[in-house]
Amino acid sequence: MIHIAELHYRALAIESLTIEPGVTAIIGANGSGKTSLLKVCAGIALTEAGTILIEGKGPRQSAIGWVNEFPDRNFLFDTVSDEIASALRFQHLPPEVIAIRTEEILHRFGLAGLSGRSVRELSGGEKVLVALAAAMILTPRVLILDECDSHLDARSMAKIDEIILRSGIPYILRSTQDMETAAGSNRVVFLENGRARFSGTPVTVFSGLEETLFYPMTWRCRL
Amino acid sequence: MAVQTVRLTLEGVRASQGSWSITAQGTFGEGLHLVSGDVGSGKSTLGLLMAGLSAPSSGQVTRDGISSVMVSFQFPEYHITGTSVREECESWGLDPATILSSVGLEACSERDPFSLSRGELKRLHLACVLSRGYDLLILDEPFSSLDVVEKHRICNILSHRSRGITILFSHEQTIFPRVDHIWEIREGRLRYCGSPPESFSNWQHVPPIIQRLVDAGKTPANISADDLKEAAWRT
Repeated sequence: MIHIAELHYRALAIESLTIEPGVTAIIGANGSGKTSLLKVCAGIALTEAGTILIEGKGPRQSAIGWVNEFPDRNFLFDTVSDEIASALRFQHLPPEVIAIRTEEILHRFGLAGLSGRSVRELSGGEKVLVALAAAMILTPRVLILDECDSHLDARSMAKIDEIILRSGIPYILRSTQDMETAAGSNRVVFLENGRARFSGTPVTVFSGLEETLFYPMTWRCRL
Repeated sequence: MAVQTVRLTLEGVRASQGSWSITAQGTFGEGLHLVSGDVGSGKSTLGLLMAGLSAPSSGQVTRDGISSVMVSFQFPEYHITGTSVREECESWGLDPATILSSVGLEACSERDPFSLSRGELKRLHLACVLSRGYDLLILDEPFSSLDVVEKHRICNILSHRSRGITILFSHEQTIFPRVDHIWEIREGRLRYCGSPPESFSNWQHVPPIIQRLVDAGKTPANISADDLKEAAWRT
């Protein structure tokens, strides 16, 4: 479990929130605090007050993978293979181990043909795949995706979904503006003005949002 | 006085970069045109060609009766010239108070535009773009980063845009304005699918929600949220 208590960070104020294993969609209006919540869960930012415990440990003591909304903002290195290998290199693993694991993940993600290419030359969908591979190479306990579907087409997104759902990573947190994606997640958290107004299964959360535009269009159309 | 008609014509247009290329042929008249296509299919390239901001490698782009052109880029920060939100509105020749209250950003007037969240910045940018009429308005992924409430609001504005040619490039799958024409980019070529609802059968990128309605014998008249609901609830 991820336990959040008395959390304060920028506009975010969450009294108590429990995130169970599985895929959790974080939804809410622009400026409601989605990115702030993901940043403190990732340990990218420190809370001003309160606690976040991921299986009993703080975010900075936990293995976390992060994929930014903007494909280009994920990259530190020029080539696809250098970018993907970077987390292993920062851990000073032996070069042979790094080579084997990088090769393995390049194949698993269907990126083998791109390994020597510059990340700048890739399409938007390929960039997100590379960022995802770099985030997943350390097999994190928590994978966080901040609206990475915002700049992707449905086909690229379906491929990414398939990879993350088969990854075996216990906690996947993703913010999204696509309510159909949220409706297909295991759990949903609805943020409003920095507070977690609803959390639970998609049916529970969206039943509280039936009168709003957040209600999934496919449900509205009874499909 | 004769009413000047506006028309954008692409004749044998081709743009290429290395082994990648896109070809386009067609005429865009007054009204709202949706162009769908995957990421990397050439939507932005085509938008720049249409606006005259870049030249095709071959072929001809003609803008008849078009004296004002506006392009809205996918990433709103490309448009920023002001050092405060207020200055940014003024740089468009607009009244900051009117613009900011229309998008709920009144309290942000003195803030650095780059301190806004991406969605807030996009909201501000679209409010500036949509407060004027243009003979040719090109919107490149206007919905990315916007929340659903804002997507619906922008769609509503676009559905009621009365003059000029508006070309909307998007890979959005659920929330659309009411459109006059649907196009798509497929296998490196721009293709005309037709007007809704006849266009649905030619539209390879037809969003799943529309396809499911069609399959259920409930073909919507158009693609806006109201059209989808009307079709779904039809008895």
